[in-house]
Amino acid sequence: MTGSNEYKLNQGPEDSISAVKFSPSTTQFLLVSSWDCTVRLYDVASNTMRMKYQHTAPVLDCAFYDPTHSWSGGLDAQLKTHDLNTDQDTIVGTHDAPIRCVEYCPEVNVMVTGSWDRSVRLWDPRTPCNAGTFTQPEKVYTLSVAGDRLIVGTAGRRVLVWDLRNMGYVQQRRESSLKYQTRCIRAFPNKQGYVLSSIEGRVAVEYLDPSQEVQKKKYAFKCHRLKEEGIEHVYPVNAISFHSVHNTFATGGSDGFVNIWDPFNKKRLCQFHRYPTSIASLAFNNDGTMLAIASSYMHEKGDISHPEDAIFIRQVTDAETKPKST
Amino acid sequence: MAEGGDVDWELCKENIQPLRRGRAISALHQALSQQQDGPSSAVNQQRQAFESELRMYEGEDPLDVWDRYIKWTEQTFPQGGKESNLATLLERAVTKFTEEEKYHNDPRYVDLWIKFAENCSEPLDIYRYMQAQGIGVTQASLYIAWSEEYENQGNSRKADLVFQEGFKKSAEPHEKLMQFHKALQARVSRQVLMNVEDDSDDEPKQPERVSLADLKHRGKKKAIAPVNRTGSAVRSVSRGLQSLGAPILGNASNSQLVIFDENKTSSAGPSEPKLESWVAPPTAAAKENEQRPERWCDVKMPQKSKFGRTVMAPPPPKPTFQPFVEESDQPPTMTPCKINPAVNTVLSSRKPCREETPLKRLQEHHQHQKEAESGKLQEQSMYCKELLLSGATEFCFEELRAERYFKKTHQDSQKEVKSEQDQACASESSVC
Repeated sequence: MTGSNEYKLNQGPEDSISAVKFSPSTTQFLLVSSWDCTVRLYDVASNTMRMKYQHTAPVLDCAFYDPTHSWSGGLDAQLKTHDLNTDQDTIVGTHDAPIRCVEYCPEVNVMVTGSWDRSVRLWDPRTPCNAGTFTQPEKVYTLSVAGDRLIVGTAGRRVLVWDLRNMGYVQQRRESSLKYQTRCIRAFPNKQGYVLSSIEGRVAVEYLDPSQEVQKKKYAFKCHRLKEEGIEHVYPVNAISFHSVHNTFATGGSDGFVNIWDPFNKKRLCQFHRYPTSIASLAFNNDGTMLAIASSYMHEKGDISHPEDAIFIRQVTDAETKPKST
Repeated sequence: MAEGGDVDWELCKENIQPLRRGRAISALHQALSQQQDGPSSAVNQQRQAFESELRMYEGEDPLDVWDRYIKWTEQTFPQGGKESNLATLLERAVTKFTEEEKYHNDPRYVDLWIKFAENCSEPLDIYRYMQAQGIGVTQASLYIAWSEEYENQGNSRKADLVFQEGFKKSAEPHEKLMQFHKALQARVSRQVLMNVEDDSDDEPKQPERVSLADLKHRGKKKAIAPVNRTGSAVRSVSRGLQSLGAPILGNASNSQLVIFDENKTSSAGPSEPKLESWVAPPTAAAKENEQRPERWCDVKMPQKSKFGRTVMAPPPPKPTFQPFVEESDQPPTMTPCKINPAVNTVLSSRKPCREETPLKRLQEHHQHQKEAESGKLQEQSMYCKELLLSGATEFCFEELRAERYFKKTHQDSQKEVKSEQDQACASESSVC
């Protein structure tokens, strides 16, 4: 099933995978958080697990601060930072409910967490300590950083754009342009906009600039749907990852497919083979030569038997990720 | 302390919606003290707990959770309003159990329906629908609420007939039904008496000045404030109009216009409420005064000429001069933080939903279920949609799974405690 350009990681997590994130500076290291209460660090080049550390409950998200520090949070509502050189844990702080997302904003040098307690909290990674709590209208489901702006997706299909330099007020309050629950938001590397995916097989491309000319360019399209015996099966789109160089992006759905899209020409660049089960998370590495694909059942249809959770590392070529210039 | 609380309560009286069963004063105090700074995290936590209980419930009586949740919502959000989600909750609860025969005459379920009906614009339709579906037909509360609605609309005869229907169905509790029926009869007879007295001084209602009327005229023409003369200033005019009115009414037999007389038809009609066998709830009729939402700008009004042809109104002439705009008057340039409302529509570009009433949604829900059963559905969502969307707020997969995880760990820890206790007991007994 896996070709020459793709391999499965050894010593994978023992339960569902919640997030995969590549190191910001090297192509070698991959951070993986899981429902088995661990965060693991893999050396992708040699296909070995370098390190793992424990939370007291399942971990929902993790992020690199710098190549030697990881941050993670989950159902225990604790935010942890781990020194990957010395294997030392520090609990930085807590939310009032499980932490759903952890991100790093290099422009403002701040860690951002989003939680089901309806708040976003900022953390100073140097001290490390809490640098502010900002109430959101609903439970935070996803967030992404675009330059110094923070895009927060909450329950009730709301999208809020904050300015990380001035968190005194919400810069923009939007409603998702998709009809169903927001699953994932990821910002364009060029900071112009973001891509939002919904639970019912749809993806929207949105722009931050509120001027009318720019807003005209926004659009949405259907994907991750399979037609079987005349019935269209609609799958959640769980994961989005941007290619840092070309501004193209990959989406992963519960149908087990990964698609790569060219948002400028509104074209699909390629589709990979079907993975054993739902795509829970996707991550391009920093130079866009590799894609980490977490194929892991997310209990979309309840607690039923499912294929084994696995992480695949796939080499991607320019042909698969570069917009076709016409 | 109680005194201070009383003052608080007095100050916010107009923001408290009345409840049939009244309110717990402690809950009211708490809710009002929290009101200042929006729903607190404690309220959010409680709500979240109810929401997860709705989804995780595995016992025999799922209605119980809904019932408690809705009662809690009523007590916690005395001002009602959108953030309480009460309307959504009621609708979801009512829709969820339409297929469950065992609940159809459960007093709690019937109460939910009545609350739901009272939140709708057409409660009578809902009551008829309940009757057609056999929901609450043996419950006195249905007939009482139904009759009250008729009475509020001034139709005391129908209100009485509803009670008769209730007696025929031998609705329980019988005494309550009797009591309310007697009260209705008393009210009606008193009203009749009052009307007889009223007839003696048959003074037309004094016209009054319109308070809070629109004084500013927003059009391009000069402003005209509505002037309503009252008292003697108007009397002569109105008398004149009345005398003019009589001959016109006399012509009515000649004109083609047939005037509907409510009393005539009702006396000829059958004397009990018709039992309509509805397959589906009625669509929202009787809405002639509500206009459908549509664009008003750029719409040209077709005008009928004398000959019945439509002519378009001539376009307003364009000004032949350039309106002067001071150069310095331009808005200062800055980062757009607030979105221009003209563009704002682009940011939330989902088309406005077509007009939907709760009844229509109920109907659609039924249809949807039927289609799903017969396998006619074109689309199928590949996830547990029902679980994510039941209740007033949505859940995501991770939240559902987290709930299961917490439940499991809780059970495990309880088991551990139990086994430890058992061990302790065993060791104690061995010591003994």
